[in-house]
Amino acid sequence: MPTADEILTKVRETLVDALGVDDDEITPEATLVGDLGAESIDFLDIVFRLEKNFSIKIPRGELFPESLAADQSLVKDGVVTPQGIAELRVKMPHADVEKFSKNPKVENIQELFTVQMIVNFLQNKLAGGAA
Amino acid sequence: MTKLEGKTALVTGGSRGIGRAIVQTLAQAGARVAFVYQSNSKAAEQLVAELAEKQLVVAAHQADVRNKEAADEIVRAVVESWGKLDILVNNAGIIRDTLLAMMTPEQWHEVIETNLTSVFNFCQAATRPMMSARYGRIVNMSSVASEFGNKGQTNYAASKGGIEGFTRCLAKELASRGVTVNAVAPGFIETDMTAAVRNAAESEIKKAIPARRLGKPDDIAQAVLFLAGEGASYITGQVLKVDGGLTLGGF
Repeated sequence: MPTADEILTKVRETLVDALGVDDDEITPEATLVGDLGAESIDFLDIVFRLEKNFSIKIPRGELFPESLAADQSLVKDGVVTPQGIAELRVKMPHADVEKFSKNPKVENIQELFTVQMIVNFLQNKLAGGAA
Repeated sequence: MTKLEGKTALVTGGSRGIGRAIVQTLAQAGARVAFVYQSNSKAAEQLVAELAEKQLVVAAHQADVRNKEAADEIVRAVVESWGKLDILVNNAGIIRDTLLAMMTPEQWHEVIETNLTSVFNFCQAATRPMMSARYGRIVNMSSVASEFGNKGQTNYAASKGGIEGFTRCLAKELASRGVTVNAVAPGFIETDMTAAVRNAAESEIKKAIPARRLGKPDDIAQAVLFLAGEGASYITGQVLKVDGGLTLGGF
């Protein structure tokens, strides 16, 4: 079982390959979209490379849930409802939903996707748990 | 002549007509070429034998291109045998010409699925290996029919128009990954598909073509070869018409 540090190192390499960013831009708090400039095709690329580098399978939507913002029952007037936040906690145990819930605007959902989120996900996955 | 040495290619609808010429041309340019055919095993075997005699590497796969699992399996097999997939040519296509008022749902669906859904099937399967390699050349076969209004071709033109829109979108999605996606739109080409129309009206057709001749499958293969080459890396989302001037209109 790799340590958190070993996982972070490998995640860094993966993101450098996938996003073409510099090594030192990849801090645990860095957001994939805001800080590292990732767009939709990049998320696909990241999943492919993580699968390859960690020899695991990542089913669609497990690491990066899709259409979070599109679900009308979980969003009202551009803000994620308490029900929506509960959904997020269930769907993304690896993300810092606590932080997001302090300012749960839909446009901020992308900030959930950080480097640390990926590391948490992988730790969970490699330990044999369902992420 | 574009050199494709070291490259691997997959061509759908490769046993006859334009597809056959594409397989021959890419193989002669040095690529290892796999092709998909639906039912004409005799033609497929002849093509493999013909190219094997010239020491060219060609592999035939029988499948229905409308089938997603088959597409996934063939791409997987090519990547497993040859390590990568550089070039995908979505050429498989059929016509079922009839006035819309008389067209059966089967005639509509067959054309849309064979011509357009197959492009979805194979392009999706090819995305992962091409993205991972940061290199790909996808060429989809359209037709000047998508631009012209020909009576009897609502289904065919819909499928080809769809291919062109699809090509532009996919080009944008994959451009940052070194994958180009283009279409070739043939004009009037001498193949089995056009035999009936040619028998009925060949001299009329030639009068409408500035180049005063029908196209040959090789004319189309040459355009595909160009777009499939390494040098075409800054061309993407384009439709290249190869029609002897047919669509220029005017006088």
